[in-house]
Order: sequence, then structure tokens, then C-alpha cells
Amino acid sequence: MKDKIDTVENAETNFQTAIQDTSSESFMKDAFLRLIANKGAVIGLILISLLFLVAFIGPYITPYDFLSQNIEMRNQGISWAHPFGTDDLGRDILSRVIYGARTAVIISLSVTVISFLIGIVVGSIGAYNVGGKIDAFIVWLIDITMSIPSLLLVIVLNTSLKPLFMRWMETQYLETKNPMFRETIWIDFVLVFGSIALIKWPKAARIIRAQILSIRNKNYVIAAIASGVSTIGILRRYIIPNSIGPVVVLFSATLGEAMVFESAFSFLGVGVRPPIPSWGNMISDGLRVWHLHPHILAAPAAVLAIMTMAFSFLGDGLNDALNPRQWK
Amino acid sequence: MWKYIGDRLLRWIPTVLVVLFVVYALVFFGAGDPIKLIFLRAPGDIAYNAERIEAMREAAGLNRSFLVQFWNYLLHLGQGDFGNSLVSGRSVGSMIAKAFPITLQMGLAAGAFLTIFGTALGVIAALNHNRWLDNVISGFAMGIWGVPVFVSGPLLMIFFVKVLGIMAVPYGWHGLFNSRVILPMLVLAITPMALIIRQARSALLQVLSEDYIRTARSKGIPNIQIVVRHMMRPVLSPVVSQLGIIMINMLNNAVLLETVFGIPGVGNLAVESITSSDYPVILALVFIGSTVVLMVNLLVDIVLPFLDPRSLSKKETV
Repeated sequence: MKDKIDTVENAETNFQTAIQDTSSESFMKDAFLRLIANKGAVIGLILISLLFLVAFIGPYITPYDFLSQNIEMRNQGISWAHPFGTDDLGRDILSRVIYGARTAVIISLSVTVISFLIGIVVGSIGAYNVGGKIDAFIVWLIDITMSIPSLLLVIVLNTSLKPLFMRWMETQYLETKNPMFRETIWIDFVLVFGSIALIKWPKAARIIRAQILSIRNKNYVIAAIASGVSTIGILRRYIIPNSIGPVVVLFSATLGEAMVFESAFSFLGVGVRPPIPSWGNMISDGLRVWHLHPHILAAPAAVLAIMTMAFSFLGDGLNDALNPRQWK
Repeated sequence: MWKYIGDRLLRWIPTVLVVLFVVYALVFFGAGDPIKLIFLRAPGDIAYNAERIEAMREAAGLNRSFLVQFWNYLLHLGQGDFGNSLVSGRSVGSMIAKAFPITLQMGLAAGAFLTIFGTALGVIAALNHNRWLDNVISGFAMGIWGVPVFVSGPLLMIFFVKVLGIMAVPYGWHGLFNSRVILPMLVLAITPMALIIRQARSALLQVLSEDYIRTARSKGIPNIQIVVRHMMRPVLSPVVSQLGIIMINMLNNAVLLETVFGIPGVGNLAVESITSSDYPVILALVFIGSTVVLMVNLLVDIVLPFLDPRSLSKKETV
């Protein structure tokens, strides 16, 4: 009997501290202060904000068109007129790098949002069906997709879905005569982010499932249910603030990984195709003439290297800021 | 132990069957009729002879239904026959037998390099905890972890060949003991090395606060002996447990790295076969890739109890 009273009291104190803990504004403020204190994370955050800014206002600030060729100005080195030089067709590399940022941001943002939407739905279904058949199936699916070499699978997905899609588009065009179905540029984009998202959702689903499971059985949630808080209230006050940390960390990591995947595809020639600039296909172009004109290769490679590092440092800073208990 | 290995293998079989099924379906419905692909790719003008195509499809068994073809493929696979390449007509088995040793040698060399240097750097960082050396090493490990090989490879290539001028152009495969292999191997090793550094560092930091280390210190045992005798095993076990992830990472990277440096390994074969939708080769590579990953994970699970006997009892209780 005494034990029972103890646990009830325990639950009550837990409930009280939980209320103080999860007054989410102060937690966010705290996390933000911790993030700001981390130099690497701040630099990463600035670089990533710059990337997004450049991606959105790109067309207004590029000095040249990314397509306009100038045969007389081929393979130019670094100069005031062309800060990053020109490539083997006389196109300005700075403008192409800026347009490449646009490609990278569009694709990585859509991939991350799509894979998180799938991950949230699948992960919560799994969490609310724990021990059931649906959950077992979901866990099995997650394990499978995470244990095969993902790049190979994504390339297979991408190259085999493309002809299917093209055939469908062609029949649509013949039926409707809508010129939209003859556009091929956006197919590249849709296929690239579709196939990357198919590989990336399991991670999101796994972490969301694990978060919901670990929080659902905490005393303060049980106490909140007992005192009649509505489901939405529980989600808003307890589940979301307590699980947001790992999810935000994974979100930033997925953004970075998706950016790398997009470049890797375009580098191998199965992703975004020239003339649409992507850092990946620019590196692949530069690799053909790197021995004579290394600057063509160096510019996109250096930008991509800096951006991936920025994502790593920001991810690490977010991890420290949002999961303070993990290290203590 | 044997029961455990058998259990793992039994669970692996349905997984690999599902993966093969999905990939087979994708190339079957996506890439289109392989015989037509052969004709489309043939040089010169070959008369489009519908009868001849039908006869060839009949002979190859391609006019049967999808499931029958998949079943036949599995039967052949069970006998170790991967079929023939659609592009060159050579047997896929012999193509892989030629490419696989190259990738394997690179992977083993890189694996040995990254395990030794990664552990050493992680230990050095932990012993200098929060001093500048630690900051440099952990900063390096964090920064390098996300950088893909098709970025670090070309950048290092420009740096060593053009800026410093101390290296011949690393292109192609000239055997493992040729100086041209240094750069590709380094690039392959450097990304997963970051993971090892971080694992070794955090493991050693944890060990340093253990009681038995303090006891050893208070007995007056020299520092180097403490590190070698008392710390190595607890540091090595998290390092070994990461080898599965590292293997997947290296398999992924091999595809990109071999394209950058023109190495005729498995990765190069994969890119070639995918761009020409040579699907017997693609299927064989997916099969081998997931087999290798499974084998490495199994090996890790077998080796781990020797380094850390606690991991076995944990597994049994769970």
C-alpha cells in the first residue's frame, strides 16, 4: 500500500517537474543559447543560411546567365569579370555554382520534407501498434532498407523508374496534347527526390517511432492522461517538446545527406542532367579537363565540401544544444 | 553461438529474396525488353526482324511471365550462375571475378589503414582531452565525416598533383603496390576514419574515469603500459562494432571513387551496367553487396564477444 502511495507521489512530482521542464519556450530559448555558444555550429548556421538565401535570390544576383556560352572566353582563370573563372564552353562558373545551389536546395529540401512526412506517418503507426503485425512489418521494412548499399539501390530505382515514367508521360501527351508532358527537366527532379526519399524515410520513421515509444510510457504522460488532458494537449505539451531534439538533429543531417546524394547522382550522370547545373555534374565536367584547368573542378567541389562541413558542424551543435542530457 | 549464426542466416534469406524481387521487378518493368535493348545497341543498321526477335526471346525464355522468369533466375542463382551480360555477352560471374578482387584489395587496405590510424588518433585526442590537439583532431573528424569521396578525391588530387606536384596522376589500376594507389586508398579511408576517431575517443574518455584505471595509476604502473594493457580492449570493441556501417559506407563510396580514379572495380562495373541497363549485372551486384554486408555484420557479432564478453550476455538476456 505504501509503495502505491509512493509511486503516486512520484508521478505527481514527475508531473510537476515535467510542467516546468516542458514549458517549451524556455527550453527552446535555452537550446538556442547553447547553440549560439558553439562556434562551429554558428559558422555552419551562417553558411547554410547563406546557401538558402543564394538559392532563393539566385537569378537576381548572378552576373551571367548559366547557359550563355562565350567561345572566346573559354577556360579563363580567376579574374574580376569571372570570379571563379569560366568553363570549357565559356560559361561563367560563379553563376553556375549559384544555380547549382538552387538545384541542391530544391532537391534536398523536398527530399527531407517528403521523407519526414512518410517517416512521421509510418513511425507513429508503428508506435501505436507495438507488438502487432503492422509494427513488426514496419520494423522489418526499416531494417531491410537500412542494410543494403543505398547508393546502388537508389541508382537502380532512379534508372528503372525513368523509362516507366517517360512512357506514361508520352501516353499522357498523346491523349491530352498538353505540352507540360513533354517537359523533361522536372522529371529529373521528381525522380531524383522521389528515389532518395524512398531510401531516407526509414531513418526518420525509426527515430520517431522510438521517441514516441520512450515518451509514451513516462510517468508524467501517464499522469497527464490520468488527469484528463486531451490527446492533442498531450501531444503538444509532452510528446512534441520532448521528442523534438533528435528529430531536429536528424532533419538537419538528412538535409545534408540529401544534398550529397543529389550531387552524387548528378556526378554519375543519372540525376540532374546538363545543361541544368548541379554541383555534381559540374564536378563530373571538371574531372574531364582537371589536369589542364583545375579551377573548373575546384570551384564546385570546394563549395560542396564547405557546405557538407557546415551541415556536420551545425548537426553536432544542434545535438549538443537539444539533447543536453545525452552527454551527462 | 552456432545457433545464433544459423538464426541470422535464416533471417537473411527472406530479406535478400525480397530485395532481389524488388530490383528484378524494377528492371523488368522499367528497363524494357533486353533483346530489344541488344538490337538497339548493336552497331550499324540491323534489320528489325520481328520473327528473329521472337525466336531469340523464345530461346532466352523471355516470353514467359514475370514470376516464372524470376523463379528461373533464382534457380540459376542457386547454382552460382548469374547469367550473361546483355552488353558484352560474357558471363556475369567472370566479370565480377575480375572486378571484385580490385575493390576488395582497396577496401582491405583502406580498412586496415583507417582502423589503425583512426584508433590511434582517437586515443591521442582522448588523452589530450579538451586541449588544442583534441580540438584539432575532433574538429577534423567532424568536418570530414560528411564530405563525399567525389569531392575530397578531386580536391586532394588537385592539391597533390597540381599544387604540390609530388604525385603522378592517380588514374587506373596498376596493382596494390603501386604508388598510384595511395591517393584513392587514402580518400576511401578518410571518411569512415572520422567515425572510428569519434568512437575511439568517446570510448577512451569513458574508460579513463573507471575505477580500475585509477587503481592502476595508484599502483605506479607507467602510463604507456596502462594504455596498452588496460585501455585497448574497451576501446577496440566499439571500434569493431562500427565495422558493419563502415563496410556499407565503403561499398557506397567505391561506386563514386572508382569513377573518379578510373579503377576497374565493382563500383565501376555497377555504374557501367546501370547506365547501359545491363540488368543481369545489376542484380548480381545487389546480391553480392547485401551478402557482403551480412557477412561483415556476422563477423562483427562473432568477434565482439572476444573483445567484450559482456556483449554476449546482453544479447542473451534481451
